[in-house]
Amino acid sequence: MSPEQPAESTETVDTSAVDPKELLAQIKEWRTGRATKTLWEALQDTYVVVLAVAVFGAMIIAAIFSAQTDAAACTSGACISARTLVPWAVLAGVAALAISVARLFGPVVASAAEGFWLLDAPINRARLLRNRLILFIVVAGVVGAALGALAAALTGSGGAAIGAWAAACGLAAASLVAFAAAEQGAERRLTTRIAGFVFSAAAVAALVLVVGIAAGWFQVVIGLNQEVQIAVIIAGLALLLLIISAILAGIRLGSIRRTHLTSGGSLVSGMAGAMYALDFGLAHDMVVEREALERGHVRPTRGRGVGVAQLFHRDVQRLLRKPSMLLPVAATIVIPYATSALGLGRFAPIIAGLALFATLIPIQNGLRVLTRTSGLARCLPYTDGQIKATSIEASMVIGGVWALATIPAFLGIYPDALTGIVAAVCTAAAGILGAARWTTAKPVDYGAPMLATGAGALPPGLIFNLLRGFEVVLIITALLVFNLPWYLPLAAVGLAYFFVIHFKFDLDEMREQQAEQQKKLAAERAKRG
Amino acid sequence: MAKRTPALKVAGLKKAFGPTTIVDHFNLQVYAGEAVALTGRNGAGKSTVLRCIVGIDRPDEGTIDVCGQKLKETDPLIRRNMATVIDDLDFFPDLSVVEHLDLLARAHNVPDADGVVDDILDQVRLVPQSGQLPGTLSSGQRRRLALATAFVRPRKLLVLDEPEQRLDVEGVRWLADRLNQELADGLAVVFASHEPYLVENVATRVVHIGEGREEVERDGAPGLIDADPETEAPTPAPQPKPQQNQPKKKPAPSQGRKRKRTR
Repeated sequence: MSPEQPAESTETVDTSAVDPKELLAQIKEWRTGRATKTLWEALQDTYVVVLAVAVFGAMIIAAIFSAQTDAAACTSGACISARTLVPWAVLAGVAALAISVARLFGPVVASAAEGFWLLDAPINRARLLRNRLILFIVVAGVVGAALGALAAALTGSGGAAIGAWAAACGLAAASLVAFAAAEQGAERRLTTRIAGFVFSAAAVAALVLVVGIAAGWFQVVIGLNQEVQIAVIIAGLALLLLIISAILAGIRLGSIRRTHLTSGGSLVSGMAGAMYALDFGLAHDMVVEREALERGHVRPTRGRGVGVAQLFHRDVQRLLRKPSMLLPVAATIVIPYATSALGLGRFAPIIAGLALFATLIPIQNGLRVLTRTSGLARCLPYTDGQIKATSIEASMVIGGVWALATIPAFLGIYPDALTGIVAAVCTAAAGILGAARWTTAKPVDYGAPMLATGAGALPPGLIFNLLRGFEVVLIITALLVFNLPWYLPLAAVGLAYFFVIHFKFDLDEMREQQAEQQKKLAAERAKRG
Repeated sequence: MAKRTPALKVAGLKKAFGPTTIVDHFNLQVYAGEAVALTGRNGAGKSTVLRCIVGIDRPDEGTIDVCGQKLKETDPLIRRNMATVIDDLDFFPDLSVVEHLDLLARAHNVPDADGVVDDILDQVRLVPQSGQLPGTLSSGQRRRLALATAFVRPRKLLVLDEPEQRLDVEGVRWLADRLNQELADGLAVVFASHEPYLVENVATRVVHIGEGREEVERDGAPGLIDADPETEAPTPAPQPKPQQNQPKKKPAPSQGRKRKRTR
């Protein structure tokens, strides 16, 4: 270069110089080179699993066919309403699930290693990511179609309806994943958030409609033939959205920032690790953390008063910041009424208690943070029992309102007023305490002595954590299902409250106390001579 | 004359992980107005001692008393007297920086919680981040928030594990000044550190943990410690870089809240 020549400040990077496909092929070749088995050899080693999957799959398909035949023969009002409306609820549910999962993870993601080694290089990012975008869209489509077909088959629809609903659900899921990818490329999140909310609300509304029609609250307004035509129209619209969104997503793929790709990738790997360890609490924490990270900033508010009540005040503040957490809880109010109308009133406490348990978990996030490690609780001048008791006060207020709202339903289920009121209160308490027990779960200790099981050695915490929370709900509500005297469920609630909030099993402390007692005893003996 | 009760008394502490004994017969007494620095190589057992002192780990042998009371991590009185900054501090993902401090101050019945929170927020230079959620903070900012949680509440004993971690030079200097102020106010401080400036300018005693454990008293003159040859000469104060983001003026007290100060 001559001295007169300016520095290459305007140099453009030729991204076509390196072919991402070649890079990926090279990585694949390295991995294949290190493989110690062929695919066939791996299948031979796991033939028991392959056979089990085949047999289990065949059983499921046979059961679906059988259920479809039985359901098709049913012509009662409940069956017709289910046949007409359940696929709609599933369509809305599949759409909500697809867009929510896509928004949570990306949907286009890259691992941290890819982010560091590949995305940092001057390569065409769109070409690198194109295949995985197509893969995500196809997977969403297949899963959506399977769910749509399953719902239509189980409600007794014919072949044409099953096909139409499978196409509608599959294409809806695929198009919404493509839409989320297009929005990811444009760095917009509001549209996907709104879409997720709308589809979730539509799914809940459709389910309420199914129950309402079965219970005789509403009349069926759509004929079965019209319904298939509408499903086909929806499939067509979804296909149109899929094509437009996929083109837009493809154009914008290259402009997705590396941090956005790798943060989704790290969430995928973190969630996979948590689920592999069956640590659902950790998986829940990751989702909460992700949502907070997405929000990033809030308008700070002043505390009120002093003392441990501050924890309650902050829980209320959380609800005011995210009132959508209350919607699922409100939706569960319909369960006792619906089960009663469908003639399943006896099981209302169990079904409603489990639903309340699941929907109250997000409301107890404060309790979760205070109990997952001792770090924050140690900063507060209160006992663990006081902290836990205050941290479920917000849930107790919500549970109280829920009990008041469901008392009429329980009065219709139980013969006398006292039992009905106790049932409503105890079902609400079961949900609150079950959620509190699930929320306060500690991570599994893999260093603890293992239990011998048919599935191999497992740490005891792994098994107990799977049941955690459910057992409290089931024990309390079982007493209501068996129609035992009203004071027994109340006593069970009292015991469960003590066990979940105030009881702490500390083996080390018990040993220490035992050693202390033995020392005192030895000193007494020595005194006596 | 009444006998002084140590803010912290550790007697015969032993802690082993499997066959490896990390700490054996460790004794320590810290009185109000004293700062004890635990030094030693990585893995010497400094953090293990501190984890036992705050009650995260249970010692195999020995006793620990805080302000004359046997250590029980869940005891509200212990929690009130002992402020800790150890690595296990967690944050609420959905509460902002200033709300964490406000929560702690009010939970401890601090009069004029707003004023105290605003002062400490200013000291740790987190005023611009007061409305941010913890997940969005850098590791250094998270450390500052952790330190702020210890200073925003009443305390008699302060236990810090490598408090200088991820702090910039100005942050280390501020921390040293703040800890000296704590000593002047009659608090007891125990901290593990690898930062010579902090050890020399804050510690009244240095306990070197590891092979050939030794305990050295500071003679009262700042910076003169006989702990080991490496720390004989006083370390010059780290030179801070000018801050870009911190407002020069003292912050509005409540980050959007009304200022109401009685002090």
